[in-house]
Amino acid sequence: MSCHLPSNKSKNGKSNKNTINIALAGNPNVGKSVIFNQLTGLSQTIGNWPGKTVEKMEGYLDFLGYHFNIVDLPGIYSLSTYSLEEIVSREYVVSDDVDLIINVIDATNLERNLFFTFQLLELKIPMILAINQMDLLRKRNLDLDFKELEKIFKLPVLPLVAVHGTGVHQLLEEAIELVVYRHPHSHYMRRRSKASSHHGHHYYRVEHIHERSDPKVNIQKTFEFPNLFEITNFGKEVELKISVLIENIDRYTQKFSSCNYPSRFLAIKLLENDSEVLKIFTENQEGSRIIELSKGYREQLEELHGEDINTIISSEIYNKIKKVVDFVLITKAKKNVKRTTVSDFIDHLTTHSIFGYIILLLVIFGIYFFTFSIGDFLGGLLDDRFTIWSNFIHANFGENNIWVKIIWDGGLGGLFGAIGGVLVYVIPFFLVIEILQDSGYLPRAAFLMDRVMHSLGVHGKTIIPMILGFGCNVPACAGCRIMETEREKKISVALTSLIPCAATMTVVLGLVGRYLGFYWILILFIINFTVIFIVGKLLNKTLPGQCTELIMEMHEYRVPNFKVIIKQTWVRSKEFIFKALPIIIILGIVLEILLIFNALEPINTILYPVTFLWLGLPSITGVFLIYGILRKELTLVLLSVLANSLNSSLIVLLSPVQMIVFSLVTMLYIPCFATIILIAKQTNWKYAAQIAILEVGLAILIGGIIRFGFLIFSGF
Amino acid sequence: MVSIDILYKGLNMKMLQKSIQNKENQANGTPLVKCLTECEKGEEVVVLRVNAGRNAKTRLANLGVVPGVKITKTKNAPFKGPLEIIVKGSALVIGRGLASKIIVECNRACKN
Ligand SMILES: Nc1nc2c(ncn2[C@@H]2O[C@H](COP(=O)(O)OP(=O)(O)OP(=O)(O)O)[C@@H](O)[C@H]2O)c(=O)[nH]1
Ligand SMILES: [Mg+2]
Repeated sequence: MSCHLPSNKSKNGKSNKNTINIALAGNPNVGKSVIFNQLTGLSQTIGNWPGKTVEKMEGYLDFLGYHFNIVDLPGIYSLSTYSLEEIVSREYVVSDDVDLIINVIDATNLERNLFFTFQLLELKIPMILAINQMDLLRKRNLDLDFKELEKIFKLPVLPLVAVHGTGVHQLLEEAIELVVYRHPHSHYMRRRSKASSHHGHHYYRVEHIHERSDPKVNIQKTFEFPNLFEITNFGKEVELKISVLIENIDRYTQKFSSCNYPSRFLAIKLLENDSEVLKIFTENQEGSRIIELSKGYREQLEELHGEDINTIISSEIYNKIKKVVDFVLITKAKKNVKRTTVSDFIDHLTTHSIFGYIILLLVIFGIYFFTFSIGDFLGGLLDDRFTIWSNFIHANFGENNIWVKIIWDGGLGGLFGAIGGVLVYVIPFFLVIEILQDSGYLPRAAFLMDRVMHSLGVHGKTIIPMILGFGCNVPACAGCRIMETEREKKISVALTSLIPCAATMTVVLGLVGRYLGFYWILILFIINFTVIFIVGKLLNKTLPGQCTELIMEMHEYRVPNFKVIIKQTWVRSKEFIFKALPIIIILGIVLEILLIFNALEPINTILYPVTFLWLGLPSITGVFLIYGILRKELTLVLLSVLANSLNSSLIVLLSPVQMIVFSLVTMLYIPCFATIILIAKQTNWKYAAQIAILEVGLAILIGGIIRFGFLIFSGF
Repeated sequence: MVSIDILYKGLNMKMLQKSIQNKENQANGTPLVKCLTECEKGEEVVVLRVNAGRNAKTRLANLGVVPGVKITKTKNAPFKGPLEIIVKGSALVIGRGLASKIIVECNRACKN
């Protein structure tokens, strides 16, 4: 049944005989994406919390004459059907698109990581064990016996420090060895002596590989997966049952050949009552008979052990792992003294029942304060420049020259508005969010907020996409994939989409912050968060189902990696610059042209009852708010373009109350277009539309209340 | 306290024997079987049984929380929040509702 059918990989040109398809698989937060980025030069999200990569990502690289097609997978703990990621990853790695798995393992968390390795071994696909984060293990005065590890697993086992790039390319060399020359396992000592001797070894390897130029032929079929029964067996009782099941499955191989799973894997999953595998078997009569058989076996085993089957099998695997780890772990120091490190201290402080919450508040305000101070300073500098230049241009070319209006006021005004009013805030914003991500703080926030979030119908992990939402709602909503159930995904995307993102905050900071002070920002904030709370309560009441419980790994704090942070910040900012700035320039020009021809009147007239009568804003803002659906910062940028072309400033254009109402509406009124698309992708279009309508309604309602509130109070 | 009947229903026989033995060894007779939520911080306990639903149970088992394994409770979030345990040398946060379904056995008598 090990039915790796001869592949017809003509699609995507993957059939090239020089191509090696690699999948990076492993637990969450082990460094898969770091390795992926190192190899492919792409920039997948990296950070110190589990669940960053939510979708598989492909990258390419040419190395030693081979074309490597590398896929970064979301981190998972097992090949069961607990989450969608597990099912998707499992189906992907057994598909013909994968020649080899690189199982990335966190050396500091060996037992739990090997659990997944043991499951992968059952798939009988060529595999390399990449033991990453060796630097952290060695810091604890521990080490691993790689020679023994290779002997045990009969597969290549490599030490890595991915963040420094150590050992990353050896993975590919080993991949060639394994896939092309089908060495079941290479000899650690041989490689080791070469690797350590001198860096000329690299050349040696190149020659060595080119020397033998037999083409890669049907790797999957000829690769003989080592027999690892000795370490992967589940004990006599279970194995007896599995072997009968395998026999039965093998007898009807043709019937189940639609899948790529080895029969032993199928047998285990049948015992475990795995819903996806059951689906394969219910398709025909023999299958149903085998299911019956496995059901009987499962009941027998559960009776015997007084535990359910998953627990029995997991325990067996962990018992084996314990033996392996005891054997290969080398303790260097005589005594493993437990000492409190700085990391432990910070951990203690940030999860403390009083200080923890104070720090959480400080962190959130810190994000804004940092961005506000830097952005404000830089924005001020740029603003002065622009005014000087503007005066100069206007003096030389005439203020009402139509070309000056279109090109200078519209196009470049928009550009300056975007740089001075938006970019200067967005970049520091991304920077702090990256630092926060890489430090490992986010799971602590989830720990602290779990109880509160339960009252909104979701568990604490939701706080992670929400905090990321401060940077940008779009990846944050994608990050809501870490929520386990449909219902929780729905609630968490709604909550996340209401978080004021960097772009929104530039509007608030650029208007309210700059002209009215930090104090008013705080008030807007409180209103915003109250709305989030109300929406959460509302959804919790209306959506059917129940909240699940939090189960989350808590990784140790790390000193954020400077290079990683700078690079990631740059990538995010670059994306903003190349995506947003062109739109802004074009829209600025379009706006000027429309203004000149008075073409905006119809739209403004339609929105007039809402914008002017109810919210008390100048009616021209109607158009800006529509533009804002595209990108939230446009509301402010276009407002400043308008101010420019009228030769006045924002403070003249809008009264303080109008500024507050305008900012509040921008904060709440609708998720931006890209966010709406992502909400729909995570849930469905109907739900996305509902959320958008709900938010528009709330924004108009609350905006009006504030405006009339001011009217009444100023009347006194 | 959870009723002892529920605790032992379907309990692993080996575990049960061990726990009875353990109890006899303790002269003061304080109950040594309790929920994870009732343990004290820093106390090392042995998991006896996870009484949760299939999904949560499987996930916990995959993460190493299986009968017989030693765990240490290290953190307790305020306001009935989640708690953190160390299992197999690494930290795991578990919601309180779920933690109250994890039945453990202490090695020493409780203080209360
Ligand atoms: N000290 C050290 N840190 C590392 C090493 N490799 C990765 N890291 C850090 O580990 C964290 C997780 O790395 P990622 O690559 O994002 O992990 P991942 O496996 O892709 O995680 P998910 O996408 O969540 O499944 C990051 O903070 C990295 O900086 C290493 O070799 N040494
Ligand atoms: Mg990743």
